[in-house]
Amino acid sequence: MHAVNVANLGKRFRSHNPDRTWTFQERVMQGLRRPAKPEAFWALRNVSFTVENGQAIGIIGRNGAGKSTLLRLLGGIGRPDEGKVKVDGRVSGLLELGAGFHSDLTGRENIFICGVIGGLTRKEVAQRLEAIVDFSELEGFLDSPLRTYSNGMSMRLAFSIAIHTNPGVLLVDEVLAVGDLAFQLKCLDRIKQLKREGSSIVVVSHDAGLVRTICDDALWIHGGKTKAYGPAGRIADLYVSALDQWGSEALAGC
Amino acid sequence: MNNLRTGSRLRRLVYLRDLLRELVVRDMKLRYKRAVLGVGWSLLNPLLQLLVFNFVFTVILPVKVPDFTIFLFIGLLAWGWFQSSLVAATGAIIENPPMIRHPGFPVAILPVASVTSNLINFLLTLPILICFVIAGGHGPALSWLALPILLVVQFLLTLALAYFFAACHVPFRDTQYLLGISLMLGFYLAPTFYDVAKIPREYQTLYQLNPMVHLLGGYRSLFISGQVPALAPLFVIAAASIVTLVFSYSFFVHTSYKFIEEL
Repeated sequence: MHAVNVANLGKRFRSHNPDRTWTFQERVMQGLRRPAKPEAFWALRNVSFTVENGQAIGIIGRNGAGKSTLLRLLGGIGRPDEGKVKVDGRVSGLLELGAGFHSDLTGRENIFICGVIGGLTRKEVAQRLEAIVDFSELEGFLDSPLRTYSNGMSMRLAFSIAIHTNPGVLLVDEVLAVGDLAFQLKCLDRIKQLKREGSSIVVVSHDAGLVRTICDDALWIHGGKTKAYGPAGRIADLYVSALDQWGSEALAGC
Repeated sequence: MNNLRTGSRLRRLVYLRDLLRELVVRDMKLRYKRAVLGVGWSLLNPLLQLLVFNFVFTVILPVKVPDFTIFLFIGLLAWGWFQSSLVAATGAIIENPPMIRHPGFPVAILPVASVTSNLINFLLTLPILICFVIAGGHGPALSWLALPILLVVQFLLTLALAYFFAACHVPFRDTQYLLGISLMLGFYLAPTFYDVAKIPREYQTLYQLNPMVHLLGGYRSLFISGQVPALAPLFVIAAASIVTLVFSYSFFVHTSYKFIEEL
């Protein structure tokens, strides 16, 4: 059984059109103009891949390629219009960091609420409390309200909680740019450790280097469709050379 | 490593219990955080309401119900739980986008958390009610043990409606205004401050269809006459609420796939 199995996945969105207005105000403003036909576009179509236990896949592609939509569907947010997504085990992610955080609660209170929202039981949060606090380097601030934290501190705390939820499948969005370089390296190490412990990792990035270091496989999506799928190194090379080409074309056009 | 994959059912239950607890505690902590009176507002609010209503309906427009203060207080508190739960549940989805967007987050727990934290608020005001009851000469009675039945029935009824309003509110933001008006009118149509017996015969059947009539009557018979309320109507309400709950829950789940596109 695969840890993640995505087969012929398709997700369609209706582009925002006048037909979708719900409020009277908007209706009236619009007057009697004939509403346009709802236009649908496929944010993802015919995407298939699998991930095994302890393996990592990198999803690369340019902005708007459908990477985030794919991550959401893997996280059980929204339902595919075509195909299927099967995930074995608990899913959590390094995206939507700090869900449930409130500035009036202390660091400790926030760790519990955010950890539980991230999929841990209270007991599991209590067991990991020390590790989370160590990782975040915020020992002295645990009982101060979050509003006294700097932005960087609260992001570090959110990140430390998320990375200690030990899910079966970890979804990572490009949030690795949290904290200074040392903290980022620590995060990378922790992701590799989770992988060794058997978590499957899905990383969304446009950094080919990152995909090379952590991932076994990579999937390149472009305009919602699979452009290439295979071993991470090869796909990353393809992507980088395509980027170079786009870059020089863009420059030539200047 | 095994526990990464084999999500046991028991763990899931423990998890949902913990999640509910965290959400409710967070709500309670935040409700009056940084207010000097803190949770005191939960008590002061119905007491002030009681003061004004009591003045209006004993001095200006006498209602002539025996033990009117207790009668009224029960009405205000039980209706208050119902009303604040529905208002909170309706806003719960749109007020928490980060939770809704969190992978694996069971959205359907939010309405349960809203109803539960307002239940706790209601329970916190019970000691004051009991002071009033005892001061009114209605000592503790064995029938009080039937209180949990009423709480469970009202919980089911409120939750069934909460799922429906919470799901409607995401795509259709007029829901909160509709709900506000309905609750205000409902407050006067339910016998919160008058006796159902006063209602003319031709409206009685219609009145008896309102589940809150039986719930308010139940609390009152418990605390004022010291009798266990008639159970048959309560069971009917419980059964109807469960059926409604099944429907409104599946409606909620069905709608919840689209929440993220509407937030």
